[in-house]
Amino acid sequence: MEDVKAFIESGILELYVLGDVSPAEKQQVEAMVQQHPAVKAELSEVEKALESYALANAVEPSENQRNKILNSLVTNLADDATFTKKDSAATDNVVVMTATANNFYKYAFAASIALLVGSLVALFNVYNKLQKSNLQLVAMTTQNQRISKTVSYMNDALGVFRDTTFKVLKLKGTKNLPAGGMTVAWSPVKKKVMIDMTALNMPENDQAHQYQLWAIVAGKPVDLGVFDKSSADSSDMKQMKSVAAPTVFAVTLEPRGGSVNPTMDKMMVAGSVSL
Amino acid sequence: MSKKKISLSEEELVLALRHREKIAVEALYDMYSASLYGVICRIVVDEATSEDVLQETFVKIWHSFSSYSPDKGRLFTWMVNIARNLSIDKLRSKDFKNHNKNQELENNVTFIDEQRNTVYKPELMGIKELVQKLKPEQKSILDLVYFKGYTHVEAADELGIPLGTIKTRLRMAIIELRKNFN
Repeated sequence: MEDVKAFIESGILELYVLGDVSPAEKQQVEAMVQQHPAVKAELSEVEKALESYALANAVEPSENQRNKILNSLVTNLADDATFTKKDSAATDNVVVMTATANNFYKYAFAASIALLVGSLVALFNVYNKLQKSNLQLVAMTTQNQRISKTVSYMNDALGVFRDTTFKVLKLKGTKNLPAGGMTVAWSPVKKKVMIDMTALNMPENDQAHQYQLWAIVAGKPVDLGVFDKSSADSSDMKQMKSVAAPTVFAVTLEPRGGSVNPTMDKMMVAGSVSL
Repeated sequence: MSKKKISLSEEELVLALRHREKIAVEALYDMYSASLYGVICRIVVDEATSEDVLQETFVKIWHSFSSYSPDKGRLFTWMVNIARNLSIDKLRSKDFKNHNKNQELENNVTFIDEQRNTVYKPELMGIKELVQKLKPEQKSILDLVYFKGYTHVEAADELGIPLGTIKTRLRMAIIELRKNFN
């Protein structure tokens, strides 16, 4: 017990409470406290005295400190593993804000691209329609020209048929062409001969031959010109050479360019003028 | 200032802190913040820095609470040593030294008492008077060690007194306090 009393009176307990001991002394004090209740009681008295002294010299921290400090501890309570919870939360915030800003530009960029693609598609469609419209316009113009041409031919034809001076003759097929026939209009006054290409009921001639129209005047054949029978360009009144006082009109098939005298056995159609 | 403060017995508080209960944190703060802050701001002096150290102290208490053992001493003894060590660390840190050269350490205790609203609680009225009963040479040593973070060796140097005398006076000062408080 003498040891204990000396230990207590050495003042080491006071230094222990004040945190002013070496690690070795610290261990020694803790061992003595474990072993001797008197030392433990003495230590407790010293502690209470200094605790009271601290209380007597206490300084109240400002009001806002309570919430600030409690919040920092409660934050730690929620996530005990993280000492720097506040810092990482702040960092998280920054990351979130950056992400938001990035997303805005990302979406804006995507929207622009979509708009651009949409515009290109629309532009392409409009261009295609324009092309189609142009083609239709060309086709219609062509058709219009054809119709006006047809109308003018028909006017010509009608003019011929309306002209009272014209005589209209139906030439009939010969033995060479029993089903053949054509129409010739002849004006004795104007000395004009027209053939109606539309009503040309004859087979198409080949490249080496052409039809030739003849008029028999005073028993002799007179050349009135050549013509072709083709599928195209047949809506016409074709004007032939002039002739006066013919008695018969006839058509023969001659070598291309026509002949001076008609090849009689190639006579296709013929008809006499009834005066 | 009439805010309700939480107070628990030390055993209850230790148990609640072990269980990481929220109420324990509040009780811990309400019961000990002023006492710890009194020590911190006498060492650190600068108010903003003292508040930082107070927060660091509570964070450290909270996180290293598992290392506290009631067998080795009272809770406050353990906590006040944390507060004192953090204060001294702060005081010795380079950036703090640079901007706080103009404070004379010797005058801190009275300086603090003049500058701040120290606690005036009815239950402390007697204590305040009793503290005045300490002999000046006892009080100066106790304050140097307790409120300045001096070791008793540094205090002996500072006061030009032999080490043995320092220890004796320190012990006598604490015995005087025990008479008055306990």
